[in-house]
Amino acid sequence: MKRESGFTLVESLVSLVLMVTVSGAVFALVTPAATSSQTHPEALDMQQRARVAGDLLSRDLRMAGAGVSAGPRTGPLNRYFAPLVPRRMGLQRPDGPTVVRADALTISYAPGTHHETTARDPLGPAPSQLRVNQLPNCPVGRPICGYAAGATIAVFDEAGTFDVFTVTAVLGDVASLRAHRTDASHAYPAGAFVTPAETHTYWFDAAARQLRHYDGYLTDVPVVDNVVGVRFEYFGDPNPPVRPRPALGTANCLYDAAGVRLPLPVLPAAGGSTAPLPLSLFSDGPWCGAGDNRFDADLLRVRTVRVTVRVQAAHAGLRGIGADFAVPGTSRSARRALPDYAVTFEVTPRNLNLGR
Amino acid sequence: MEALIAMMLIAVAALGVAELSGVASRAGDAARVQTSATLMASQKMEQLLSLTWRFDGLGLGQPEGDLTTDVSRDPATTGGTGLGPSPLGALDANTPGHVDFLDRAGRWVGTGAAVPAEAVYVRRWSVAPLASDPADALVLRVLVRSIARTSRHGAGPADAVLTTVRTRKAP
Repeated sequence: MKRESGFTLVESLVSLVLMVTVSGAVFALVTPAATSSQTHPEALDMQQRARVAGDLLSRDLRMAGAGVSAGPRTGPLNRYFAPLVPRRMGLQRPDGPTVVRADALTISYAPGTHHETTARDPLGPAPSQLRVNQLPNCPVGRPICGYAAGATIAVFDEAGTFDVFTVTAVLGDVASLRAHRTDASHAYPAGAFVTPAETHTYWFDAAARQLRHYDGYLTDVPVVDNVVGVRFEYFGDPNPPVRPRPALGTANCLYDAAGVRLPLPVLPAAGGSTAPLPLSLFSDGPWCGAGDNRFDADLLRVRTVRVTVRVQAAHAGLRGIGADFAVPGTSRSARRALPDYAVTFEVTPRNLNLGR
Repeated sequence: MEALIAMMLIAVAALGVAELSGVASRAGDAARVQTSATLMASQKMEQLLSLTWRFDGLGLGQPEGDLTTDVSRDPATTGGTGLGPSPLGALDANTPGHVDFLDRAGRWVGTGAAVPAEAVYVRRWSVAPLASDPADALVLRVLVRSIARTSRHGAGPADAVLTTVRTRKAP
């Protein structure tokens, strides 16, 4: 009988068993790897978004209150008005002046330049044109102390009133202005301070789940997506503020016309230096400033801001249910679910703590 | 035989790919830990920077400093040492008043020598006079470690360390 070449039944069975075993092992490895390849980029993206939020907010918060470095008056802005205001301020959809929000913050500061000057003529109300004094620190040979169209400037006085404007055009020694507020701005006397300024409003758009940045004028853009929580908390000086101090004969939120300080409470300090400042403290007056730009006098106490930002996985399939997920997702596997990532940080703005 | 060799090669390749995925995953975890640790260290540094450390407001040139705030609690309380010098080794061991513990999201969960069960990070800090100007300048250091990584790999390098110098200023 002719014997045909080939595999015996036993050989085939052994081979089959080996193949099944190896294939099983490979699949056991591939499945978690596939899960990891889906979740890992998303986890990195969440971290990156949290980092971006932290970097942006820290950068502007550290600058908060940076003030005038040349001209007739120098010093941080909180000697004149509140550089940190917990609401949206500006030309487009501003919050009302008595609104206080835990998820919005407007930061003001003067970038270091040599354009600080004073108004040559009285301004306003609703000023549309500005003439300034050409002080020694102004750039030589450049009118309007070097301001050009597009510049953002702050005008303020010693009584605690301020306004922010965009220079829309410069003609000769006259700058045309547009105010960053919807109501008529305050009137300022000749000699009011004029300085380059930046305002940054960071606010949480709960509907779009975005952290957004508004420049106080025409530009409002998202800066971080898939944000499910933003919270600002404040700590500050237990003692009442002593500035802005108006000239005798003028009253403001801190002094009467005779120059006598109005009573504001000394707060119980958490430690020896700062006191927690609940949001309710910022809506009970007394009120400084005017119109849309009014602010509670207690905002002048702020020395430290604590920020919490919570981001989530973009894809619902990578979110589960429970306390770790502000917005529930569709994943029911712990291995395929990325809990929300929250970061908390504090900033002690250097210019609000000079001499502390 | 050929089939067996082929299967072995496939298995080895799959193992390699799986290992790569594990490496990437661990690197991502390490990045998250470092991001969180850096923010936590920064938070404590900012708290220390908010404490009073200046010359008096009367223009007499008298030094003033916060020596009572306990920033190891949240919110801070009195009964601490503020910007007073910290004990030697405050960065190496859990020293009451110079250590606190945080959960995964950076929430404060306790202080003291013992580690709370829910703690994920330990944060220690030290305050020391600057050698060249001990009366008016301080060296502030903050260190943050992941407790899990420390228990797995020993003390090793911290996940974040920040150092700065603070000097007195006149109001």
